[in-house]
Amino acid sequence: MLKIVTAALLAVGLTACAAAPSSAAGKSTLVIGVKADQPGLGLAGPGGQFSGFEVEVGTYIARKLGASKVGFKAVTSYNRERLLNQGTVDLVLASYSITPQRDTLVTFGGPYYLAHQDTMVRSDETGIRTVHDLAGRRMCEAAGSVSTQRVTAGLGIAARLVPSPSYSDCYAKLLSGQVDAVSTGDLVLAGFVAQANGAVRIIGDPFSDERYGVGLRKGDIDGCEAVNRAITAMYQDGTAARLLRKWFGTTGLPLAGSTPQFEGCA
Amino acid sequence: MSTVTAGRASPVSRRRRPRTLSRALWSLSLAALLALGAVFAFTDSAVSDARGGLKVIGHGAGPQAIATADLYYALSDMDVQIAGILLLGRERNLGIGRDQAMSRYEQDRDQADRAALQAAELAGSDPAGQRSVRFVLYSLGRYERLTDQAVVLDDQSGHPAGPAPQNVISIYRQAAAVMKVDLLPGAYNLTLDAGSVVRHGYLVRRDAVLAGRIPVAVAGGALIALLAGLQVLCAARFRRLINPALLLATLGAAALLATTLVLLTDEAEHLTAAKTSGFDATLALSRARALGNRAVADESRYLLDPGHADIDTETYLDESQAVLYVPADSIGQYDAAIGPAVAAGTGFLGFLGDEARGTPVPGGRGALASVLAAYQRFQRDDRQMRALGSRRDATAVKVGVLRSDFDLYDAALVSLTARHQAALTSAIRAGDDELGGWSLLPVAVLALAAVVIGGVAPRLWEFH
Repeated sequence: MLKIVTAALLAVGLTACAAAPSSAAGKSTLVIGVKADQPGLGLAGPGGQFSGFEVEVGTYIARKLGASKVGFKAVTSYNRERLLNQGTVDLVLASYSITPQRDTLVTFGGPYYLAHQDTMVRSDETGIRTVHDLAGRRMCEAAGSVSTQRVTAGLGIAARLVPSPSYSDCYAKLLSGQVDAVSTGDLVLAGFVAQANGAVRIIGDPFSDERYGVGLRKGDIDGCEAVNRAITAMYQDGTAARLLRKWFGTTGLPLAGSTPQFEGCA
Repeated sequence: MSTVTAGRASPVSRRRRPRTLSRALWSLSLAALLALGAVFAFTDSAVSDARGGLKVIGHGAGPQAIATADLYYALSDMDVQIAGILLLGRERNLGIGRDQAMSRYEQDRDQADRAALQAAELAGSDPAGQRSVRFVLYSLGRYERLTDQAVVLDDQSGHPAGPAPQNVISIYRQAAAVMKVDLLPGAYNLTLDAGSVVRHGYLVRRDAVLAGRIPVAVAGGALIALLAGLQVLCAARFRRLINPALLLATLGAAALLATTLVLLTDEAEHLTAAKTSGFDATLALSRARALGNRAVADESRYLLDPGHADIDTETYLDESQAVLYVPADSIGQYDAAIGPAVAAGTGFLGFLGDEARGTPVPGGRGALASVLAAYQRFQRDDRQMRALGSRRDATAVKVGVLRSDFDLYDAALVSLTARHQAALTSAIRAGDDELGGWSLLPVAVLALAAVVIGGVAPRLWEFH
């Protein structure tokens, strides 16, 4: 009897159900969070317009999701999760490595690129051939990034850490000789190499996989699946290869050509 | 219309009264039969949604999705066997030995071929899906050509167990890159695509079943009200307190409505149980099994190719963390964190963390405890292997105790997965069984219609 009453109540109660929170899939306007200070990936110009690989990938994905208007907003490593979950931005493409911990805060589409952690040095540097040569050398530690720990704690290499607010500051410190090396995802490094006119180079000793994901509001499974379909299309129709060549073709970075292994949405 | 007037009625109204009453009886009866027809139509549509949902999860895309997860496992196991064969060199009888590794490799390849066919079937006419399957098959061909070459070179070199010579390594690195960059991501994404097909089928069908209760309830409510109206009309006009046939019809309609609402609610529950603790968990654990096997291949590569030892260690940690996550930047930190987290019960994330927090299936908690214990054991073996200075000794540990402890872990994981598969099967069977009785719905509806007609027809006859 209780079951019958419950069933009847449920049937009536259904009409009062609230609408599900909106998904990034199917929105006519999408705001994409990108980095403002990362050349090659996401860089704000003097007029406030953004350019870079992640800006173009984000635009491609947003169009595939059905958006007719695409806007951009600068995010940092500190506010990505908050801006996503409070709805200020709909997608985040900001050299945002997928990790199980971040996975508890946001939903990840992609990755759209499988980067590898590598090390960038001044071109005249001869003492750093592998990551192990960083022992005792000055390595830049960008705030909010997990890359330095992979060298010190992960590989147990006793580098001397020089704290810095961002990777663009790390790059400036490398050029001015305040640090000897910057170690992070090779796509981030390649962006600096592309604008350095030969002043810096990547040593080519990758030691980890960094999966750059598309951040979505936690629980937006429909949006995440749509993002993955868009990334698959981007690799299948040659757009990914074209964009990688456009932004990093001159840097000597080996550019991966097939769809990365997705994280999975559910 | 003033048909009911007290006292002397005019001859006209005396003639009109029975005709009006007969018209009211006719309309109410017809409306009741229409409402009954509507109950039938709405129920039938909701029931076929439930049937469709059970089919997607239990008989169609669901099993195919799980087959694509087996594709990933088969592929990664091919890589494990090849790395193992190259590692043995001329010492062909270490561990399971070269011949057995070779025959396992061939079994894996057959399984991969079969699973790829399933995936092609699942992709159907979706062009992106078809392209993905073709890419996996093409990459598999490339991988096999490269590994064949590596094995021939390895045989010619006759090296002792441990790292292989450089010419073998350079071919093997190409094969491993095809596996890592093209083959496995392709297979993994096929599984995710298939999972997404199931998820959509489930959501659409479950929502339709639940929402289908509203029109059923409305039509059923109208039916009961109309039957009650007929009852009142008959009681008032024919001076009978109750019309037994109409009473029977009303009770029958109420019973039908209640049963239908309960059935549809039950079906939605069966669908949810089949999807979450059945399908989702089975697929998640199959992915965990495949990633765990990747870690084993990375272990072999770590021994086989010292030049890539850093990245192989790092990806070993990544894969281990995907299976069971505790925050750690190095395998040392991982070891330190894992014990207390597992002891706390839910202090960890990853596939096994999801399992620990998910809805338990019968025997699932005990099976998970065995998986966790076996997992920690093979992780400990791995550290002992890495601590050995000699690659030859490390290789002996790798193909000996480490391999057998990993196999125990794998067996425990397979047995846990089987429990979820059993939960999936039983939820689907319960749903199917409950729907089985529903083929009698037309009979019940016709019987009700007959009872209504049987109750009203004699009254209508009286007007002739």
